[in-house]
Amino acid sequence: MKKKTSAWKYLLSALIILIHAIPLYILIGVAFKSKMDMSSRWILPGYIWWDNFKNALFRGDMLLALKNSFIITAGSVLLITLLGALAAFPLARHTSRLNNGVRGLIMGVMMVPPLSILVPLYSNLAHVGGLSTYWGIIGVLTAFQLPMSIFLFTNFIKSIPTGLDEAAAIDGCGPFRTFALIILPQLKPVIASVVILTGVNCWNDYQFSLYLLQSPKFKTITLAISSFFSLQSSDINAAGAAALMGITPVVVFFLFLQKYFIKGMVDSAIK
Amino acid sequence: MKKLLSVLLSAALIGGLCAGCSKAPKEEGGDSGIEVSGEESEKSKTTLTFVQHMSGVITDELQAVLDEFEAETGIAVEMSSPGSDIEEVMKTRMASNTLPDLWTTHGWSVARYGEYLRPMNDQDFVEHIVPSIKDLITGPDGNIYVLPIDADICGISYNAEVLEDADVEPESILTWEDFEAACDKIKAIGKTPLFFDGKDPLAFGQFFDFVAPTLYTNNDDINRREEFLDGSFDWKDWREVCEILERWTKKGYLNTDALTADYATACQALGKGDAAFMLRNANVIVEAWTTSPDARLGILPIPGKDSDNPRCIIGGERLAVGIWKDSPHQEEALQLIEYLAQPEVCARLATAAGMPAGLDNAESDTGKLAPYYERVMSDDILTIPYFDREYLPSGMWDDLCVTGANIVAGNSGAIDETIEQMRQSYETKKAQQ
Amino acid sequence: MMKKRNKNIINLFYVPALILFSVFVIYPFIEGIRISFTNWNGYSQNYTYVGVKNYIQLFQDKNVRTALINTLIYGVGSTFLQNVIGLLYAVFLDSKFRGRMLVRTIIYLPVMIAPLVMGYIMYFLVQYDNGAINDILAVFGRQPVDWMNNGSRAVIIMTLINSLQFVGISMVIYMAGLQGIPGVYYEAAAIDGVSGFQAFRSITLPLLTPAITSAVVINLIGGLKLFDIIMALTMGGPGYSSHSLSTLITNQYFRAQNAGYSAAMGIGTFLLIMFISNVTMRYFDKKEVYS
Repeated sequence: MKKKTSAWKYLLSALIILIHAIPLYILIGVAFKSKMDMSSRWILPGYIWWDNFKNALFRGDMLLALKNSFIITAGSVLLITLLGALAAFPLARHTSRLNNGVRGLIMGVMMVPPLSILVPLYSNLAHVGGLSTYWGIIGVLTAFQLPMSIFLFTNFIKSIPTGLDEAAAIDGCGPFRTFALIILPQLKPVIASVVILTGVNCWNDYQFSLYLLQSPKFKTITLAISSFFSLQSSDINAAGAAALMGITPVVVFFLFLQKYFIKGMVDSAIK
Repeated sequence: MKKLLSVLLSAALIGGLCAGCSKAPKEEGGDSGIEVSGEESEKSKTTLTFVQHMSGVITDELQAVLDEFEAETGIAVEMSSPGSDIEEVMKTRMASNTLPDLWTTHGWSVARYGEYLRPMNDQDFVEHIVPSIKDLITGPDGNIYVLPIDADICGISYNAEVLEDADVEPESILTWEDFEAACDKIKAIGKTPLFFDGKDPLAFGQFFDFVAPTLYTNNDDINRREEFLDGSFDWKDWREVCEILERWTKKGYLNTDALTADYATACQALGKGDAAFMLRNANVIVEAWTTSPDARLGILPIPGKDSDNPRCIIGGERLAVGIWKDSPHQEEALQLIEYLAQPEVCARLATAAGMPAGLDNAESDTGKLAPYYERVMSDDILTIPYFDREYLPSGMWDDLCVTGANIVAGNSGAIDETIEQMRQSYETKKAQQ
Repeated sequence: MMKKRNKNIINLFYVPALILFSVFVIYPFIEGIRISFTNWNGYSQNYTYVGVKNYIQLFQDKNVRTALINTLIYGVGSTFLQNVIGLLYAVFLDSKFRGRMLVRTIIYLPVMIAPLVMGYIMYFLVQYDNGAINDILAVFGRQPVDWMNNGSRAVIIMTLINSLQFVGISMVIYMAGLQGIPGVYYEAAAIDGVSGFQAFRSITLPLLTPAITSAVVINLIGGLKLFDIIMALTMGGPGYSSHSLSTLITNQYFRAQNAGYSAAMGIGTFLLIMFISNVTMRYFDKKEVYS
């Protein structure tokens, strides 16, 4: 009886895996094939065409792009996490008219279509010398990812009993110490969720990086990949190799963190 | 959990540190324009910013030339290559008036970039610009704003084997009627007569650039040139060019995936001999040879409206470099222009671009294409500018692309809508000027 | 007294976030409102104010209407698919069997891929010539199909792609939600003779309401702002037929050089997203109270 139930589960699992693995499978096929190989996309080549990777590495400057993406993502994620947790504390603990307004504003920011503010944003950054700098792009990405972080943190902090911070207040702790000593340590599980959800968006950002990081020294992974796919280029296979190289770090990162991630989501997304 | 946190924290710290250090490069960039005078005096430290729109082999050659320039003069050049995003990138930069020191003008040195570029009339290379493009890059004020490294010579790219199989003599295609007869023959042998890579609708914009001039502007005696320029053109007459595209679609000359094929597919189809013609410059031929090295591919002049009108080719600037008139590094930028204008450097770059050189003292080796270029640049063939750049206000290129796609998609009333959109857009764009 | 002061000090905690928003979002947004009253072409130094002309045009423009309908399909369609499939996946993976971690990981992995890159990859599947889907059709002796040459079909395909890529997020949220439901509820229900689908309807769904709210709001905003996949697959074409409002904004800003009009479109899109998400949140807020 028990064996029978598992059988359909494995069958269904296999089907699900099949469907969701198709994009990666196709990408691997493309990345390994030579440009002259016109066989079906379903057929993996019996060889690895290293030229694709060589092309991607050297012409696409993948190492530099990896470094830039890493710096930008790490910097943004640090700010997103820190400022998000800070902002969520009063918003979760005190419901006043002012704070409701602030919450509405933050949700509003989440809904601004990025392109609609691009040119004014660009001019602003140009005036203060923030184009093609790490701090410029980190600031922009942080601002656009913060609402999600605040959203998750607020939900989570609401689920922490207020008893502890009240006790701390009676003991004479100011809000800063209450936050640092009582709240922050309890946030650990949700941090993994925030890091993964927003970190992926920063790593994969295309629109802002394209315009705000025009100097080739600041090229990011997504820019490097997209310039390979850019319509005037016909070397699809090298582009596939570049895409594969760009995806690998986040995938590995996720595989290491996923345990904490799921746990964090339990506590944050559903308060 | 602790481990995770410490990993994250240290990662973030490193990030923060790097973000701190990274402010340094900003000072060398020409973008900010806030140069500290102390640093300015260190001439050897100058870095020029250079935005260029080409991709592929030429990019590598360009980088090599810039490296040699740096080794020789000590002036570094930071080249960025946004590829097909060049339009957007340059428009944001114009909007905020933070242009690069130099950039390639992709056909717009006069109409769009003229007001931002330093006139080059005082430069030695000007007298060497090949006659076929000289007029095309000269503004109404007589100014030339760019160094044209190559000359864009744009005719119909074709696969000679397919034409032979279909018993079509390329030199006999003198009018659009001949062209359609050829297409019928090609279709009869089961090949695609005309390939469009419409995933990027620029393919349809190209159609109008090829066909519209033959109907409206090529004839010196009877033409509508003034009407396009002063706005008196009756857009109802635009129907004529639209109907040609519609007819070709209905007759089945186009590939099945005309609306969705990408550039790589197009190059392959031409190279493998699945398709006969493409309304695109020889770049497709160069790309097609990378997968089908033995394919016999060539360039054909654009047919005339009828036998009274000569055939033509489209000429213009392609890899053409200009200097921002407000660049803080005028002198160094000029030095680079002089370097690029040397015959051997210019020849090298034009060769890599696969196009004839833009200067007459440089000899580009266009290899297998050389005889074709020689043929289409002869006297009996007219050289015309890109229609949209010459006769339409900046910004209408998109209208050509999109309306063309609508016609090919076979939407009912597409032609009427096209006429209306062209009329409206023309008015809007004129009002912006 | 003391407490009141603390309350105000505590509000300082969101000041850094507000400063960031002001500099990078709100100020440019206000600038955008100003631009929306001009006929600026997006780059020149001169333009004229044209009043509310751009806004009036929004209501007359057929392409805006198409993009609006597409945006709703992208937004509502993906939200629906992601939540239904995500919930089914979560329920399935909530049962214990070996290898379910692997299934979960594989479902979530595509979320890590940049949507732009996902679009490029998907082109390998849907393209006419040598496309992976047409290869399968060929095995069954069917004629190849040019999948993206029809706007409505392209919109549906891209909604599907977006849904399948991001279904992992809803799945994880629902898995989290399911783990938060105490098992005793089901035991009690079983004693009353309630089990299976009925138990799912009367216990699981109501208790999942907070999770549903989070998942729906996150997916809705993501879907309504869909951009990268469209740019990678159709660029809004053929014609204007598969544009979302986001891609049409870019198209009008840069390619068509109607920056003023595009800015008005941006403001309109913002208001639309705001309206839809607020209605959704209100709806779920009420539900939560009742359950």
